[in-house]
Amino acid sequence: MLTIEGGDDTPVAISGRLDATQAAAAQSYLDRLAGVVTLDCAGLEYLSSAGLGVLLKTHKRLLASGGRLRLTEVSRHLQDIFSYSGFDQILEIEPCR
Amino acid sequence: MESAAFPRRIDALTEVVAFITAAFERLDAPLELRRDVDFVLEELFTNVVKYGRGVAPVTIDIAAVAGGVEVTLTEPEAERFDITRPPTVDTTLPAESRRPGGLGLHLIPRVVDSVKYDYSAAERCSRITFLKTTTSAPPDDAAGHGEKTC
Repeated sequence: MLTIEGGDDTPVAISGRLDATQAAAAQSYLDRLAGVVTLDCAGLEYLSSAGLGVLLKTHKRLLASGGRLRLTEVSRHLQDIFSYSGFDQILEIEPCR
Repeated sequence: MESAAFPRRIDALTEVVAFITAAFERLDAPLELRRDVDFVLEELFTNVVKYGRGVAPVTIDIAAVAGGVEVTLTEPEAERFDITRPPTVDTTLPAESRRPGGLGLHLIPRVVDSVKYDYSAAERCSRITFLKTTTSAPPDDAAGHGEKTC
């Protein structure tokens, strides 16, 4: 189960599981956003490589038009996944407070 | 040991997750291992769905071992593809040079204690076994998980 809400002038709150079954829906939602998009990951419990693909595709699209994707409230578990994949070098990531 | 078979469809991943949840409960396995086990099984299962040419269901076995679980994914009607030797992924590339995909198999060894690939050409069956524990302690051989055939 994945829930995404917000965007444009407010952070996008994403919660649940971003896995292969939810990747298309997440991509569809994020494809509508532009500029600097902040993704609040406080409720994101799980992320697979399919989810990493969604984030990368979104970030690249935003970069091409002068924007970017930034992630906030990232849990330790997700930080590990971002570190293993090198995403911590290409995305702005703010850990959980 | 807990065992179940799943059809080769991405949406069957929901059933896989439900099976892992129930198996962890019945085996009294450490819950802190769940996300990593979910992660590895999703990567392995979706790899079979995307690239496997067979139609027979994929079987997943989960056994309790000391401090964790040993998980085996068995794919019948398989071609040989050693997932422990995936194509190289350069995780140092800038975003502009990266392409989605290919990361899953690359990440598996990072989140488990060990992973092993076996292929039987005679049976055309691949078997991937990984171990995930809370420590680096070796698995308990008394867990009762012997060799299986497809």
